[in-house]
Amino acid sequence: MMKRSLTIAFENETVNAAPGMSVAAALTAAGQRVFRETDQGAERGIFCGMGVCQDCLVEIDGKPNVRACMTKVRDGMRVARQAPRPSLQVRPAAEEPATETVAPDVLVIGGGPGGMKAAIAAAQTGANTVLMDERTVSGGQFYKQTGLDGTEPLDRQQADGARLHDELLASPARYIGGAEIWGAFDGPVIVAATADCVYTVRPKTLIVATGAYERPLMIPGWTLPGVMTVGAAQTLWRSYRVPAGKTVAIFGNGPLNAQVALELAEGGAAIAMLADAAPSPVTRPSPALALAAADPALAAKGFGMLANLRRRGVSTQWNTVPRSIRQVEADQLEVEYARGERIATVRADAVCMNFGFQPQNEILRLLGARMDYDPRFGHLRTQRTETMETTVKGVYAVGDCSGLGGAPAALVEGEIAGLAATGKTAPSSALSGRLQRHRRFQKALWETYAADLPDVRDAAPETIVCRCEEVRKEQLDAALAANPSDIGAVKRATRIGMGRCQGRYCGPALASCLSGHTGKPLDEFSYFAPRVPVKPVSIAVVASSDLSADDTADD
Amino acid sequence: MTEKTDILVIGGGITGQSAALAAADAGARVTIVDAARNAGSTANAGSLHVQMQSRFLRLNPHLADNLESSLPLYVRAVTAWEELDQRLGGVELVRQGGLMLAETAEQAAFLEQKAEREIRKGLDVEILDRDALFRHAPYLSERFVAAELCHNEGKLNPLVANRKMTAELDRLGVSRHVDRIVQIGEENGKAVAQGAERFVADRIIIAAAWGSGELARPLGLTIPTPGEPLHMNITEPAEYVIHHLIQHAERSITLKQFASGQVVIGGGWPATLDRDDALPAIKPQSLTGNVALAGEIVPAVVGLRLLRTWAGVNTPVDGKATLGPIKAGGLIHFALPGDAGYTLGPIVGRCAAASAMGTTPPMDIAPFTPDRFAA
Ligand SMILES: Cc1cc2nc3c(=O)[nH]c(=O)nc-3n(C[C@H](O)[C@H](O)[C@H](O)COP(=O)(O)OP(=O)(O)OC[C@H]3O[C@@H](n4cnc5c(N)ncnc54)[C@H](O)[C@@H]3O)c2cc1C
Ligand SMILES: Cc1cc2nc3c(=O)[nH]c(=O)nc-3n(C[C@H](O)[C@H](O)[C@H](O)COP(=O)(O)OP(=O)(O)OC[C@H]3O[C@@H](n4cnc5c(N)ncnc54)[C@H](O)[C@@H]3O)c2cc1C
Ligand code: FES
Repeated sequence: MMKRSLTIAFENETVNAAPGMSVAAALTAAGQRVFRETDQGAERGIFCGMGVCQDCLVEIDGKPNVRACMTKVRDGMRVARQAPRPSLQVRPAAEEPATETVAPDVLVIGGGPGGMKAAIAAAQTGANTVLMDERTVSGGQFYKQTGLDGTEPLDRQQADGARLHDELLASPARYIGGAEIWGAFDGPVIVAATADCVYTVRPKTLIVATGAYERPLMIPGWTLPGVMTVGAAQTLWRSYRVPAGKTVAIFGNGPLNAQVALELAEGGAAIAMLADAAPSPVTRPSPALALAAADPALAAKGFGMLANLRRRGVSTQWNTVPRSIRQVEADQLEVEYARGERIATVRADAVCMNFGFQPQNEILRLLGARMDYDPRFGHLRTQRTETMETTVKGVYAVGDCSGLGGAPAALVEGEIAGLAATGKTAPSSALSGRLQRHRRFQKALWETYAADLPDVRDAAPETIVCRCEEVRKEQLDAALAANPSDIGAVKRATRIGMGRCQGRYCGPALASCLSGHTGKPLDEFSYFAPRVPVKPVSIAVVASSDLSADDTADD
Repeated sequence: MTEKTDILVIGGGITGQSAALAAADAGARVTIVDAARNAGSTANAGSLHVQMQSRFLRLNPHLADNLESSLPLYVRAVTAWEELDQRLGGVELVRQGGLMLAETAEQAAFLEQKAEREIRKGLDVEILDRDALFRHAPYLSERFVAAELCHNEGKLNPLVANRKMTAELDRLGVSRHVDRIVQIGEENGKAVAQGAERFVADRIIIAAAWGSGELARPLGLTIPTPGEPLHMNITEPAEYVIHHLIQHAERSITLKQFASGQVVIGGGWPATLDRDDALPAIKPQSLTGNVALAGEIVPAVVGLRLLRTWAGVNTPVDGKATLGPIKAGGLIHFALPGDAGYTLGPIVGRCAAASAMGTTPPMDIAPFTPDRFAA
């Protein structure tokens, strides 16, 4: 274990933390998981672990609305639970942030496999390249680097990521970490902010590589502290070496869940349950065979993982979905689940869920890139050419932000887009061959995991469908019964989607319910209209951005 | 298919809904037909405006007299909202007054003159000096030297009001259709409207905001109803301390706090609109300019995070309400509020319903007849 050499204050307690930890990780390690209280008096803590859900807000040194999962500990930091309505007062030393305007040949947004590879490829052609990523810990979701100073990579995946990140830093590309992109305007003009600088970027070409976030299952209790996404638990462990709980139950659909179960088990957590909604692959051998044919090495890795889990006494419960979660005793959660027809319960300190992914396509939508609805994955896919260019000229999209595709495909897409965006070197046909192979593998992989997931349209009336505004399914149903004209009308009638996560969880659920109600198939206009800010952003930052030059035709 | 009704209301914003409510109360069978496109009523900020808005005066100096002559209507409009607030079981209406702030002696002098004109029209306004201003509103920046406080002004939550209004109309059996009317006229003593469907009624009330000019033109009236796309911002919640509606004597802004604790910032910064029925888009300069100004006025808001911006379509017409029949004894009546139309919607709707049903309106509508637009 690394040295917990720093101390921070949380409420009236002293918490030890290791340098480089996030506040959320330090609090979790100290057994604290209630970070804030909602308007209706509910407790909340970490959920997404990646800056999307906004449920981990705390007050740090008197400043409210700070995400614990995105903020690093500092010695002597004072952290307090956030009240539902933080006080409105002028805070001292709100220093004017520095501003910088950048006009690179290529701007890459997102520092996962796709983005890093794109930036390296572009920079190596001699193009002036900038990569921005909102996290302070590099590598994106797949490579998830360690945030702790001086720790060795956990495994091959982390070591590969470290190597790619080193390659990026050694390349002429400029890397700006901790830069949250909050706005995108035609041009394109991208506005971003780090802790101390507001950037206005006017790139010649833009490569969006913003990845995806996880889709939960909306069931009663999914907002309780201790319930989090599988990725959140993975980040706590891989980046900060903090287990989400002593005992962990994992429910989901797809290969990530088993991987994280194994990682946590290796880290010493007891896996109370690993459940997948899909029927056992043994019952459907043909997709598994297709998987092995598409990429024998990767397929073997996957099957090896399951075998390794079994050796540790964890076997996947197939055809199993959670139905509700409740708090029993202090930090114990009890999940009621259905395994086929059978109903049973399991207890754990932490419950993790991942029922698929939702692309982070807000910037692409804001810029007007056209998308199609993909019913298999239940999300939008960005329309792209073979070189990953979207329908907006000069705007490229790579990796999961354009629709789920996996890390190996993202790497190749990044390289293709990085070369195409500079126009100096054409991507080779070898690259597109590799991409085809990765795509075949992904397709077979998800066929192995094909499942009838519970539909939010059938959720119990008391289920919270909008976690920010605490709106329940029954309120949504009442609004739908009034025959609203569009998603905006339901939003205004119920407040669904008006909260801090800006509709990221409820938006897709609402779009699906509305489509079920009207019978109109889902398409790119079924969702909330894309609007700035892409992420909540302080007025101080907006006011200091240099956007004056970008207003066309001011009358 | 033809829909037959007593009163057909074209446009289902706050004005049309208020007209429908009054007509239904009076016993009429009422149908609302709405294109389900840009409605100011679904995008507006819920300010109850009464004092003359400096923004309007500055942008439209030639219309200042129109605005001034409408002031009694604004005073009465707030009463109509208070009645509606009672009836609908609360729309978060708060009447703590509106402050218009002056930074310089010239601005203060402008407000003093404005206040005199307004007092003559029956408004309840007073000029606050610096000390009085900060006693009322300690959250303001210290740059201000004086303010006009209009006690008639307030705010409400339009999201709540719209939801409850729709429920009330449903309860009264008002039928609602989604359709875009393209032509209206009179046939055999009936008023008819044609969209995808055909509607036949005893009377038609046009409450179609930006869509009204087009419907009126073939009938010989040239009413300017271009849509004015406007920008709005909303922050995350904070402790509720801003009780007033805040405006500036010279610069475009409205700022207030909802009961939810969210701060709503608007005040007429432009958005862009390709077509009347498209979703308006945000202008970067409006975004930065509007929120920067908010920070200059209430310094504590700079620490709040912006959650969303949106744009909606306002229809100021000529700054004055348009009320009454298209011609004496005609079957087609107008209900266009003009500027600050959400404030005026309930009173204008009620007057239009009375005009259409031949009963006595709650106030004299003669100053607002559509005659001024006849060719
Ligand atoms: C008083 C008030 C308070 C509000 N408070 C909040 C708040 O706290 N938080 C908040 O988030 N919002 C808030 N809103 C804003 C609210 O979201 C908007 O008023 C309303 O939903 C319209 O938003 P919109 O125009 O952005 O479109 P949306 O409602 O988001 O979208 C509606 C329409 O856009 C279409 N659409 C979707 N995608 C696209 C696309 N790519 N291109 C074109 N069209 C598309 C959809 O089909 C739909 O018809 C508030 C509004 C009001 C009036
Ligand atoms: C961003 C913004 C903020 C505002 N803030 C305030 C404020 O704080 N206070 C205030 O008092 N006012 C405010 N206003 C102004 C106010 O919103 C409007 O003036 C008011 O809502 C007008 O109401 P209405 O019912 O007359 O028209 P609208 O609400 O605009 O409704 C008109 C309706 O007519 C329909 N329609 C149009 N043509 C046709 C057709 N041919 N057939 C069928 N239907 C048709 C449209 O679909 C629409 O639903 C604001 C406006 C905007 C845009
Ligand atoms: S857990 Fe921090 S934003 Fe979701």
